[in-house]
Amino acid sequence: MLDSIITPDLFAAAIRIATPLALAAIGGTICERSGVVNIALEGIMLTGAFFGTAVVLATGEPWLGVIAAVVAGISISAVHAFASINLRSDQTVSGTAINLLALGVTGFLMKLWYGHPGTTDQIKTLGSVFNFEAPGGGVLAEVWRWVNAILFTHSPIVYLAIIIAIVAQWAVFKTRWGLRLRALGEHPRAVDTVGVNVARGRWIAVLMSGALAGLAGANLTIEQVGSFTENMTNGRGFIALAANIFGRWTPIGSYLASLLFGFADALQIKLQILRGVINVPPQFFQMLPYILTVVVVAGVIGRAVAPAASGVPYRKD
Amino acid sequence: MNAKTSRILALLLALMLVVAFVPGCAAEEEPAEEPAAEEPVAEEPALKAAMVTDVGGLGDKSFNDLAYEGLKRAESELGVEIEVLESAEITDYETNIDSLANAGFSPIFAVGFLMTDTVVKMAPQYPDTLFGGVDEFFETPIPNVVGLNFKEEEGSYLAGVVAGMATVDKFDTRLNDKNVIGFVGGMDTPLIRKFEAGYAAGAKAVNPDVQVIALYTGSFTDQAKGKELGLSLIEQGADVIYAAAGACGTGTIQACQEKGALFIGVDADQYLTVPGSGDVMLTSMMKRVDNAVYMTIESVINDEFAGGTNQVFGLKEGGVELAPYHDFESKVPQAIKDAVQKATDDIVGGTITVPEAP
Repeated sequence: MLDSIITPDLFAAAIRIATPLALAAIGGTICERSGVVNIALEGIMLTGAFFGTAVVLATGEPWLGVIAAVVAGISISAVHAFASINLRSDQTVSGTAINLLALGVTGFLMKLWYGHPGTTDQIKTLGSVFNFEAPGGGVLAEVWRWVNAILFTHSPIVYLAIIIAIVAQWAVFKTRWGLRLRALGEHPRAVDTVGVNVARGRWIAVLMSGALAGLAGANLTIEQVGSFTENMTNGRGFIALAANIFGRWTPIGSYLASLLFGFADALQIKLQILRGVINVPPQFFQMLPYILTVVVVAGVIGRAVAPAASGVPYRKD
Repeated sequence: MNAKTSRILALLLALMLVVAFVPGCAAEEEPAEEPAAEEPVAEEPALKAAMVTDVGGLGDKSFNDLAYEGLKRAESELGVEIEVLESAEITDYETNIDSLANAGFSPIFAVGFLMTDTVVKMAPQYPDTLFGGVDEFFETPIPNVVGLNFKEEEGSYLAGVVAGMATVDKFDTRLNDKNVIGFVGGMDTPLIRKFEAGYAAGAKAVNPDVQVIALYTGSFTDQAKGKELGLSLIEQGADVIYAAAGACGTGTIQACQEKGALFIGVDADQYLTVPGSGDVMLTSMMKRVDNAVYMTIESVINDEFAGGTNQVFGLKEGGVELAPYHDFESKVPQAIKDAVQKATDDIVGGTITVPEAP
């Protein structure tokens, strides 16, 4: 029984499921580090997923779709940036408005462009980057089969997400830009007094989070499923928000937290196979990843300290 | 924050909300277009039948479209005047039913179980209007309402017969040696469980040793989840997968195409409604909502409207059936086709009773 649950695909699935979460979570990290809470990740991801699909449907070029998803993510996050930085509005309200907006706009455009709501036609997807042959028998071959299945069966954005996590970690903690970014979220007035433009710094951070969440949407549609369905993000943006907190507002922490959630989700899918042996309702398994999230966030939040100025609009006067 | 900025902000947010609800407006406006040019010489139509879609709306390639098919057939064959109002939000149900009833439409079909409560509330207010609730079950009978339900388990039983025999066959290279088939469910509701129960029963009837693995996504829109479930099933050795999970099924089709497994569609003939899925689409379990709607209109014309009852459309009534095999037509062995025919005869004849819960 155990060998039907602990399989190479369990770990590969964990990485696949973690990827869109991690990208959005890293976006959330950068955004909050600059002092802007981005609750709109869900809506941005959905927007990216939709426009990515639309462009591939129109051009047949998956990579153009990825670019479109990123651009769409940046565009809609600009609304959040304008509302929360220039208008100094409540960032939760603006974020919620964007989530509603994204759901409405994508559904509306589906109807307008394709004549029906629901699901779009299939698009050309990005397949796995590597395609290694499995060698013959022996223990080594078995080890290789696992390593190959877990690490070398993924599509480009999956690897890109890992690279982004590492580069973002370095950028946030080892560069001058990163120091300013963190200062913006901790004490914007201090940054302002040394002559750095607070609004500009925050704008860049919000747009970066939009790009990353848009890329997460591209991963969902252009790599994973090859079509768009209304509300297909299904709460991933909010899980990403939690992963960002659990990852203590660090890019690598965000990635690892997403990986933990991805693993829990992959595991619950495999555990459902046990329903043939013990009669447990599927809901029990489906709630496991969320329980894990609640426990982990509740357990860690006491020690994790958010950027001091996160969620506070900055007023220069 | 000074007064000016807060005014700008308020305007901006209001604008956002307006845009967010544009689909609602669009769907509401649509019926305003003239449905058909009135011909002055045309005789008075016998009946005015209408439907209210649920939030999926027309173009869902599923039961809203199918119900509309039934209406259109009634229009061309029975000379009935028809009208459709789409609901963009759950809150549109009442308004839509209201305006149709006031315009003198009867029967009015409310499509989808989400509308059950609305029908229960509205029907007594319009005692002279007849209502048909597609996928709706009414615990307390209402004299002017008929519930139109389907025996999904019977159609799923046939899907199970096909899958159970296919997995031990070799008519396609994607069929492996393992005696395992898969099921992907959406939310774990009594309705979806009927699909699972029928499928498992059908498979076990023709192949007692078959292992049926049933996984649930917990959603009807999360395609990526549907794909992950498909991949897990294929890894377990499932070579035929049946999905009753709404849009999640599209993800499962993707998994089947990538990893080489066959797929059985649901509700509509998904060979036709999901373009590009023909290479894995073995067959589909169709819910003939169109037949149920058409037959109900017919019953109104013949003064046989079964108000106050819940009608159940099974194999016998033409409420469920298997779609053609399409690209697999020549590959599927005669033995499977015969077994499906025999199972159909047995269910219609009452020799087999299909369970509703696994």
